[in-house]
Amino acid sequence: MLFFDSAKAATTDLDPVQQMSFWDRIQPPVDISANGHKIMDLFNYTTFMVIFFFILVCIGIFGFSYFYSHKRNKKPYYTYGNKKSHKNVGLAFGMAVFILIDCAITIQSNNDLVNTFFNFPKGEEVVRIQVMAQQWLWNIRYPGADNVFNTDDDVVTINDLRLPIDKKVVVQMTSKDVIHSFYLPNVRQKRDAMPGRLSRIWFELKKTGEFDIACAEMCGTHHYIMKGKMIVYTQDEYDSWVKQANQVALSANDTEDPDLYWGWKWEE
Amino acid sequence: MAFYEQHIHEAPKTFLKKYVFSFDHKVIGKQFLWYGIFFLGIGGIMALMIRWALAFPGVAFPVFGNFLFPETGGVIPPDTYSMLFTLHGTIMIFYAITPILIGCFGNFCIPLMIGARDMAFPSANMLSFWIAVLSGAVLLASLFTPLGGAAGGWTSYPTLSTLIGSPGVGQTLWTLAIFILGVSSTMGAINYITTVITLRAPGMGYFDMPLTVWGLWLTAILNAIFLPVLGAGCLLLIFDRVFGTHFFLAGAAATSGNGDPILFQHVFWIFGHPEVYILILPAWGIVSDLLSFFSRKPAFGAKATALSMTSITILSTLVYGHHMFTTSMSPLLTQSFMTLTMTISIPSTVFFFNWLGTIWRGSIRFDSPMLFSLGVVFVFGLGGLTGLYLGTVTTDLYLHDTYFVVGHFHYTMAASVLLGGFAGIYFWMPKMFGVMMNEAIAKVHFWITMLGLNGVFMGMLFVGYGGMHRRLYNPFWYDFLQKLIPINTFITWSAILMGFGQFFFLYNFIHALLKGKKAEDNPWNVGTLEWTIPSPAPNYNFKDIPVVKCGPHELGNPALPEGRDFQYQTEELVKA
Repeated sequence: MLFFDSAKAATTDLDPVQQMSFWDRIQPPVDISANGHKIMDLFNYTTFMVIFFFILVCIGIFGFSYFYSHKRNKKPYYTYGNKKSHKNVGLAFGMAVFILIDCAITIQSNNDLVNTFFNFPKGEEVVRIQVMAQQWLWNIRYPGADNVFNTDDDVVTINDLRLPIDKKVVVQMTSKDVIHSFYLPNVRQKRDAMPGRLSRIWFELKKTGEFDIACAEMCGTHHYIMKGKMIVYTQDEYDSWVKQANQVALSANDTEDPDLYWGWKWEE
Repeated sequence: MAFYEQHIHEAPKTFLKKYVFSFDHKVIGKQFLWYGIFFLGIGGIMALMIRWALAFPGVAFPVFGNFLFPETGGVIPPDTYSMLFTLHGTIMIFYAITPILIGCFGNFCIPLMIGARDMAFPSANMLSFWIAVLSGAVLLASLFTPLGGAAGGWTSYPTLSTLIGSPGVGQTLWTLAIFILGVSSTMGAINYITTVITLRAPGMGYFDMPLTVWGLWLTAILNAIFLPVLGAGCLLLIFDRVFGTHFFLAGAAATSGNGDPILFQHVFWIFGHPEVYILILPAWGIVSDLLSFFSRKPAFGAKATALSMTSITILSTLVYGHHMFTTSMSPLLTQSFMTLTMTISIPSTVFFFNWLGTIWRGSIRFDSPMLFSLGVVFVFGLGGLTGLYLGTVTTDLYLHDTYFVVGHFHYTMAASVLLGGFAGIYFWMPKMFGVMMNEAIAKVHFWITMLGLNGVFMGMLFVGYGGMHRRLYNPFWYDFLQKLIPINTFITWSAILMGFGQFFFLYNFIHALLKGKKAEDNPWNVGTLEWTIPSPAPNYNFKDIPVVKCGPHELGNPALPEGRDFQYQTEELVKA
């Protein structure tokens, strides 16, 4: 059984990560994007708040259980909790949660969303990619030499996304069959690819290297092997790769094959 | 205030009428309990199989792996794995938690706690159980169809759940089973709502109801409103699958006309978000009561707790969009859903504060129901707070569909509800069956469960933060997840520990039923109406309909005469 053999091979090949501490293990994969830190900063702020309020809850549970157990406190305090002081303390906690958590997080997240993550870059400088997901692979399309999508010279690859560093990248995506989700753990973002709809995501990469593209939405039996590679090049490497890929596409694309034209007209 | 006369009929004599087709709410409650425990066992074994595949990919499942999967030498194959997590979710939510928390406690507690002789519609009640049995049979039958059971996740998003993604008849049967169960639960819900409104004992205002009844009542309201929405979605999905319509089909597969798969997500989550509150509200209610009963003082801010549960009920209907942040909704919608989601933290703070206020300066007895209730406060604290990350759009872009989500909703829906359910079973066991459970074994059960479930769900939060996404047959296909193998193994061992701990419960439960110590009428010394009658509760509960004169949490009143620290709801409030 092919799947099981490779699964075993994957689990035994552990050497480089065997010595890791628990803390290192739970760290998310390296952040290679220009804006991923905004998500992680908000995550960390939320974590501080969560820890703070959870400690309060724990003090309540364990402290009260200790001090007011039947053994230590024979006479319970008869109250409905409707005294002015009770209500004031409750109100103070409510306000603390409202200001420290609700307001702070909502405002920060709304700003990031509007100013960054949903603020799609436009213009000629932007690298444009079209992705069509299908069970269980990623079809990737570059506009080719004429810079227009869905024409004869498009560069079409499977599971192979190559991008330049320090450039804004916009990916438009859809799906052929079921819902998939284009997940870049190193960019801290994902977006669903849905049949009959176009969705889009943008990011800017800050590190070269090879990274995983994963499918985050259950898409059938082999959902777990729907893995693509994202290779980040320096600008020079990227330019020479694009040039070469454009040439290959011109000669290799089978223009008789209707399956080649799954792309769409790019609209900002 | 009882609106009409509740007649007493003679107790049924034949076995069939007494135990099988019974109109008695207490028997129906117990039937739901057996039903729920049966499915809880199946769902639990499925969970262990899922965990096994995640921690030891390619290793044969122990004990009965060879029997179930002879073709692969006992290894769980990937298509079966999808079936397992789909049915684990479905079974736990609809066939284990719903019957135990809502079916069993709702049926058993509501009439007893509000001083009624039975439900408002006894025959609808019976029908509701037998329709649920039919639904369970259809679900189990789906496993034995040619291509196996449903495998599209419990959310069963189209187009994966249409013929494009799952051609087998198993998915159709699954959808049908959920639809039938929706009919059953709606019937039960209408019954509960009507019972609470019309059959409260004379003198019992809404705020004199125990908070358990509040929780169950709010749950029933949500059920009655939103289960039909799910039913409609399921029906449309069945149309798509059986009659060739195109409600949810789009893209290359939509040969004529275009539907929209996202429509299903809207329909599903309009129901689906209230559903999580449907499951947790009864547990909140039970915990609110038990904390007060075992601290021997009135529930702190009981009115505020009831009102904050009500406001959460209302808010829960307005926030479902946070399940769909990654579908490229309009930013305006995204922001509104996030803001509304965040506001839920305010009423949550109120009742958390009230829970802690209840045990503050109490005189706490650590009987098993109390331990489980304190456990709920702990795990729901974690579950609720981790929800903040997922209600926030930007952090959700990273965490959506990762194990962080799995950890979060298991803390809220699985851990809290399970502990709340156990608290209820230990607490009402004397009134249900007239026997006491063994305290020592119950405490062992509590600590093992607590240890196991925190190991499992905390571990899930960590691997989710590490980036591991959901529903992967073999997550180690990805390089960046290699380092999470030891944590996954740890989670699996914790799950096995937790599963092992449930044998203590099973032994305790069965032992109590067979030769448990006979229970007194009021073993916990509390004053709500169900404890004014003999244990187990007699035919038609109350010989004379009680008249309520004080609230449900009258404990620790210093004005009470020496030797008593509580008073029954039927007694005039003793004033200093």
